[in-house]
Amino acid sequence: MKVIECSNLTKSYLRKKVLNQLTFSIEENTITGLIGKNGVGKTTLLKILAGYIKQTSGEINVFSEKPFNSLLVSANTIFVDDQMSFPSPLQLHEILQAAGSLYPNWDMTFANRLFHYFSFDPKHYHNRLSKGKTSTFNAIIGLASRAPLTIFDEPTTGMDAAARRDFYRALLKDYLTYPRTIIISSHHLEELENLLEDVLLIKDGNNHLHLPIEELKEQAIGLKGAEETILNWTKDREVYYKNQIGTNTLYAVVRNEFSEQELQLAKENEIEITSVSPSDLCVYLTGETKRGIDDVFIDR
Amino acid sequence: MSLSTVNTSKVVKQQYILKLKANFDAFSSLVWIQLLAILFSLGGVASQGFQSDGMSVSIKYFSADMVIAFTMIWGLVTAITITTKPYRYYDFSFVTNRVTSSLSNILYLCTASVIGGVTAVMAKGLLIIIGYFFLDFQLLDYYSQPFHVRDFLIGNIATVLYIIFICSIGYFIGALAQISKLFIAVIPVLFVGSMLLDGMMGREPIAMKILSFYFQESSFSLFVVKTLISTVLFFAASISILNRMEVRK
Amino acid sequence: MAILNTDGTKPIYMQIAEWLETEIMNGHFQTDEKVYSQYQLAEMYTINPATAAKGLNLLADENILYKKRGLGMFVSENAKERIIQKRKNQTLKRLIEEVVLEARRLKIGETELIDMIKASQSGGGVA
Repeated sequence: MKVIECSNLTKSYLRKKVLNQLTFSIEENTITGLIGKNGVGKTTLLKILAGYIKQTSGEINVFSEKPFNSLLVSANTIFVDDQMSFPSPLQLHEILQAAGSLYPNWDMTFANRLFHYFSFDPKHYHNRLSKGKTSTFNAIIGLASRAPLTIFDEPTTGMDAAARRDFYRALLKDYLTYPRTIIISSHHLEELENLLEDVLLIKDGNNHLHLPIEELKEQAIGLKGAEETILNWTKDREVYYKNQIGTNTLYAVVRNEFSEQELQLAKENEIEITSVSPSDLCVYLTGETKRGIDDVFIDR
Repeated sequence: MSLSTVNTSKVVKQQYILKLKANFDAFSSLVWIQLLAILFSLGGVASQGFQSDGMSVSIKYFSADMVIAFTMIWGLVTAITITTKPYRYYDFSFVTNRVTSSLSNILYLCTASVIGGVTAVMAKGLLIIIGYFFLDFQLLDYYSQPFHVRDFLIGNIATVLYIIFICSIGYFIGALAQISKLFIAVIPVLFVGSMLLDGMMGREPIAMKILSFYFQESSFSLFVVKTLISTVLFFAASISILNRMEVRK
Repeated sequence: MAILNTDGTKPIYMQIAEWLETEIMNGHFQTDEKVYSQYQLAEMYTINPATAAKGLNLLADENILYKKRGLGMFVSENAKERIIQKRKNQTLKRLIEEVVLEARRLKIGETELIDMIKASQSGGGVA
C-alpha cells in the first residue's frame, strides 16, 4: 500500500519554485531517508505531507487523502522537528499527557521509560530545555506516538553523539516491534545509512533519485590513479566527481557500469578501486559541478 | 500499523480540556483585572450634594459596571490572543485540523465568558460588602426586598452573552489580522473615520446605532436571539478565515 | 551489540551474509537448523531489517539457506561444503590475484613468492 503518493508537486513562494514537479511515492512500513542540500525543499515537502502548508499545484495524497485539514492524516501522522511548540505553562509531564490524550497509539509506559532514561525532570518547562534536550524530548514524543506515518526533520539537531546513537537504536528497535512508515530528513546520512531502506534524493526541488540504499551504494565507483590513466578510463563514462591529488594523481567517481573483467584490468593498470559511500555520492550528485570550495582560495 | 479512525468531537473535547489547562494564566489575570476594577469603583462614579436650611446631603454613586467593562476588554484580548501564530501552532504539534482547533477555541472562549461574566456580576456584591464594612454604605430598602432569582439570572445571562459576543468579535478581528496586519490598522481607522463623518453630517454615528440595537433591546428573549446569532456569525466567519491558513511556514 | 565494517568497502547485506556463512562453517548452525531472522539480525547489528533480509536472500539464492514459508530461513543440506567451495573460488581466488598483482608490482618472482607463502603457512610471519 502506498502511504504517500505525490505527483507533479510544485510549491512556489513569490517567484521562486521551491518544489518543482516533484513525483514519488512511499510504501507502507519502510524507513526512507530524505536527502538533499540545505534549502532544497526537504522541510517544505515534509510540511506539505503533514498538512501544515498547501502545495501551489500538483497532487499529494497521504493515506489516500489530501493532508491539508485532514483529521485522519493528522491523527495518524506526527511531524517532529526542533520547532515543535507546546503551550508554555505546561510542564514536560503534562505535555506527554496531552500527547497521550490525542494520539490513539500513544504508549505512555514507553514514553516514561525514554523520559527517565534521558534524565528529564517532569516538572521542567519545554522552552527552558537546551537545544539537544529539546530535540531529544521531541524525538521521544515522535517515537511514543507510534504514528503510522512518523516524520523526523533533522531530529538530531544539537544532540551529542551518545544521544544520537541512542535515538537511532531506539528508533530501530521500536520499528522492529511496531512497524510504521518513517521518513527521516537529515544531513547525517553517514550515521543513518544502516537504518535506511530507501533514499529519496532531492535536487532543484525535484526527485533526483529514489532507490533502496543498497542500490545507491552500488551506483558509483571510485577510481584513483595516474591522471592520464584515469582520464582514459573515464572518457565515455558518466563522471560524478573529479579531484586532483598531488601533481599526477586523479580521483574520479564514475557510474558503476564495469564488468568484473574490466575492474580486474583496471587493477592491473595500477588503478585503485574504492567503493563510494552513499553520503559522499549524494554530496557529489547534488553538488554544483562548476566550482568547489577550493576556488575561494584560488589566488592565495 | 493499521490506521486509527478518528472522532471529531473527541478531538475537540480533548483540545478543549488541554486549552483550559494551557491558558490558566488568562484566568489568573481575570482575577487581577476584576480586583483592579473593584478598586477603581471604590472611588465612586458620580457624586451629588445639596444643602438647605441646616441640612446637607451628599450622595455618592457607585457602580459595578467597571468590572463588567474590564471583563469585556479581557474577553476581547483573550480572544484575539488565541488567534495569534504561537497559539494556533500549538495544536499542530499533535492531532488537529483547523476546524477542531477553532471549535475548541470557541468552547474555551465560552467557558471563559461564563466564568468572567458570573464573577463580574458577583463583583457587585463584593463591592457592596466592602462598602458596607469600610465605606459606611447605608443599605437601602431595596436590599431588604426578597431576592428575585429571575432578575439575578437574567443579569448573569445577559452579562455572559455580552462577553461571548465581544469574544466572537475579538476572534474575528484576530482572524482578519492573521490574513494581513493591515486589518489591524484599517479597522480602527474605519471606525473612527465613520464616526467623524457621521458627526460632520449631523447624523447619529453608526456605532451608536449598532450599540443601541443590542443594548437597548427591552425584550430579553429577543436580546438573547440577536446576540447569539451575531456571535455565531462572527465565529463562523472566523472559522472559515482560519480554515485556509497555513501554519509553521 | 555487533559491529560492522562501516568504511563503505562492502555492502552491509554482504557482510551479514559472510558472517552467517562463517557461523555455518564453524558449526554454529547445523543442517536444517533455523538461522537468525531478519528482525534478529536487524537488532543485533542495528540495521534495517530489509537489508538483513537481502543478506538472507543472497544466501538462499546460492542454496546455502532455504526458506520455509512463515517459519524462516534454514541451513541447506551440504551448505558447509558449498560455502567452502564458494570461498575458495571467489574470495580466496580474489585474494590470490591481489597478492600476485602486488608481487608483480614489487618485481618479486614466482619462486620468492611461493617461499613467502610457505613461510606464512608454517606459522608466524614472513622472513
